[in-house]
Amino acid sequence: MTHLALEGVGFVYPDGTRALSEVDLTVTPGEVVAIVGQNGSGKSTLVRQLDGLLRPTEGRVLHDGVDIAGIRVAALAAKVGIVFQNPDRQIFAGRVRTEVEFGPRILGRSANEAAEAATAALAAVGLTELADANPYDLGFSRRKLLTLASVLAMGTQVVVLDEPTTGQDARGVARIQRVVEAIATAGRTVIAISHDMRFVAETFTRVVVMGAGRVLLDGSPADVFAESAWPTLASTYLEPPLAARVGARLGLGPTPTEVSLVEALVEARG
Amino acid sequence: MVVLALRAGVLGQLVRVSLLLTMPIAVSVVLVSVFTRAGTTVLFAIGPFDATVEGVDFAAQTLVRLFAISLSIGLFLMTTDPRAFVFDLERRGVSPRVAFVAVATIEAVPALVERAGVIGESQRARGLDTEGSVRARLRGVLPLIGPVIIGALTDVEERSLALESRAFSRPGRRHLLWAMPDRTWERWLRWALIALLVATAAARISGRI
Repeated sequence: MTHLALEGVGFVYPDGTRALSEVDLTVTPGEVVAIVGQNGSGKSTLVRQLDGLLRPTEGRVLHDGVDIAGIRVAALAAKVGIVFQNPDRQIFAGRVRTEVEFGPRILGRSANEAAEAATAALAAVGLTELADANPYDLGFSRRKLLTLASVLAMGTQVVVLDEPTTGQDARGVARIQRVVEAIATAGRTVIAISHDMRFVAETFTRVVVMGAGRVLLDGSPADVFAESAWPTLASTYLEPPLAARVGARLGLGPTPTEVSLVEALVEARG
Repeated sequence: MVVLALRAGVLGQLVRVSLLLTMPIAVSVVLVSVFTRAGTTVLFAIGPFDATVEGVDFAAQTLVRLFAISLSIGLFLMTTDPRAFVFDLERRGVSPRVAFVAVATIEAVPALVERAGVIGESQRARGLDTEGSVRARLRGVLPLIGPVIIGALTDVEERSLALESRAFSRPGRRHLLWAMPDRTWERWLRWALIALLVATAAARISGRI
C-alpha cells in the first residue's frame, strides 16, 4: 500500500505562474479524499505531482517515505493512476476492450492478466456489454467511464480522479460512487478533484479545500462544510452542498442524511 | 528586417527562434554541400569525400537564404495577430471561407500543441514510457498521435457546426465591426516595401545583382 506525502511542495510553471505554495499533505492507504477549490486553485497541479507528471520546484513528494524526484513517470504509474478530466485526451483505441487493456499491458502484465483486469474494470463501470464497441461511438459520459475503467484495470494502489462526475447523470454519479467505495473497500486510496459538492459530501471521508495554491481546509465533510467554515469556502468561490446549508438551518449539522432532512422539514412545516 | 524586429522588441527572440528552426536543415545543407559540391580547391578530405571551397561558398549562400526566409516568417508571426490579419484580408475582399480556413489553420497550431501536451500526460500516467528506449517511444506513437488527430477532426466539425448555426454561409455582404488601425506612415512604408520588392526582383532577373 502506498503512503503519499507532500512536504512543503511549491510549484511554479515555466511562465512564472505560481500554482502551489508550501503544501503539506499526507494521504494514508485506503483514504478517500476529495480536493475542492475554485478553478486555478492548484488542484490539478497538485495531483500531477503525485505521479511525477510535474515535479515540485520546492519541497518533495514521497511514496512510502521515498522521494520520487529521480523516479520516472512510467515507473510511478504502476502505483498512481490518474483519470483525466477529458476522455478525448486519452482514448486512442478502436475498441473499448483494447483501450482498457492498454494500461495493464504497458505495465507488463500478460495478455491473459490484462484481459481479466479489463473484464473486471468494465464490469465495475457498467460497460461490459460495450466491450467490443468503438469508443468514439459512445456518448461523453460513457467515454468518461471508459477512461475510469482503463485506470482501474491497471490495479494501482492510488486512483486519482479529475472531475469524475462531469457529464454524468444521476445514474452515472451513483455508479462512480460505487466504484470509489469498492476501491476504498479493497484498501486502495482514492483522491478526486471535484466541483460537485453533493458528490463530495456523500462520497468522501476527507475533504481538502485549496485556494491560491495553498491548503485552506483539511478535514472530514462535517468539519469542512460546517457553518464556521463557510467564509473560507466562500473565499475560494465554493458553496457547501444544499444539504449542509439546510441542515445548518434546521440544527442537523453539516452532513444530515436525506431521511433526517425530510423529517426535520416535515416537522418544521408543523 | 533587423530594424523592424528591434522596433517591435522581438529581435532577440526572433534570432533565437530562426536559428532553432533552420538548424536541422542547416546541418544537412552544410554536410551535403561541402562534401558533394564539385570544386577545384580542396580544403580537406574525409574518406572518399572532398570538402571544397566552392562547396563551403554554396553552403554559406544557402544558409543565409534559409535564415532570411526564417527571419521573415518569424517576424511576421511574432508581430502580427493572425485574427487581425485575416479579418483585414476579409475587409479587403477575400472570401470569408478562405479567411476562416486561414485563421483556423493558424490558430490550430497552439491548440494542437496544448492538446498534445495533455494527451502526453494522460498516456504517461498510464505507464507509457516517453523517456525510454526508441522501441518504447515507438510503442507510444499511436496512443499519442491518435487522440490528437481524432480530437482535431472533432474540433473542426464542432467549429463548423457552431459557425453554420450562426449563419456563416449566408450569402451577401458582411459588415465587420472591427477595422485594422492603419496609420499614414504605415501605408507609405507598405508601398515602399512593395516597390523595393519589385525593384529587387527586376534587378535580379536582369542580372544586375
